[in-house]
Amino acid sequence: MSERVEARRYLPLTETTYYILLALVEPLHGYGVMQKVRELSGGEVEIGPGTLYGAFSTLRKQSLIHKVHEGDRRKVYALTPKGKQVLQAQIRRFERMARAGSKVINDLR
Amino acid sequence: MTFGDGGKGEGKMGRDTLTKFKFFGVWQDRQEEAWLREMGKQGWHLSSLFPLVYTFTRGEPRDDVYRLDFIASGKDSESYLRLFRDAGWEHLGSLTGWQYFRKPYEAGEAAEIYTDAESKIQKYRRVRMRLAAVMPVLIVTVANPAFGRFSSIRVFVAAVLLLLVYSLVRVSLRIRQLKRL
Repeated sequence: MSERVEARRYLPLTETTYYILLALVEPLHGYGVMQKVRELSGGEVEIGPGTLYGAFSTLRKQSLIHKVHEGDRRKVYALTPKGKQVLQAQIRRFERMARAGSKVINDLR
Repeated sequence: MTFGDGGKGEGKMGRDTLTKFKFFGVWQDRQEEAWLREMGKQGWHLSSLFPLVYTFTRGEPRDDVYRLDFIASGKDSESYLRLFRDAGWEHLGSLTGWQYFRKPYEAGEAAEIYTDAESKIQKYRRVRMRLAAVMPVLIVTVANPAFGRFSSIRVFVAAVLLLLVYSLVRVSLRIRQLKRL
């Protein structure tokens, strides 16, 4: 319960943050995240390196991601358990939003 | 504003470099990027950086996108540069915290280093913090009674201080504009 309340403090995530966390369910380096986000969003969302660099630093400070490896000057990041909770809380919220939207739209028809 | 052109060989063949003196305020980074891109389309590619002095090398006309980033310190710059290079950006150099990047334009690609309003705001906040950090030294110098009332040092520092205050206002307005997006 307290963990869920804690996770909700970070919501709603911005589109950028949401996709970065989604990409980091598996460990990836920066460019890997950029590619994965493009793929996951069907080409709709692109994240520039300046935006990503800043996001990494913020998400690390919030302990939502952590550095798992560093080699060849590339840092590899992955979600922390807290990051995973925040991501799950956001997905549940999206689901509620989508359900509410579908219901209203269907009732109109 | 352009102070003047230097070194352009009028009608002469074989001139390979061009030096231009140009001033861009810290709030004019997008204008600077657009200007560098125009130069590239005319076959002049930025090759070295110095305050107010841009040196270009002649080559094939290309549509290259230029982007300027601002980072507060050099810490962690290895992984910073690696990330940009992996994403296809060539790092041309840095000038007082400003990082110059270049990438050939490809149709259908965003070619942006900042892709949301929040991170653009963060960039201008870093610029603003740097400006604010330099200010006390200038104020102390202007207020220093050891310098004569209209001594050239004092007048010069006062002019720099005015430019700094103006820059702070312009950068703050840019942040406010981005917040409305």
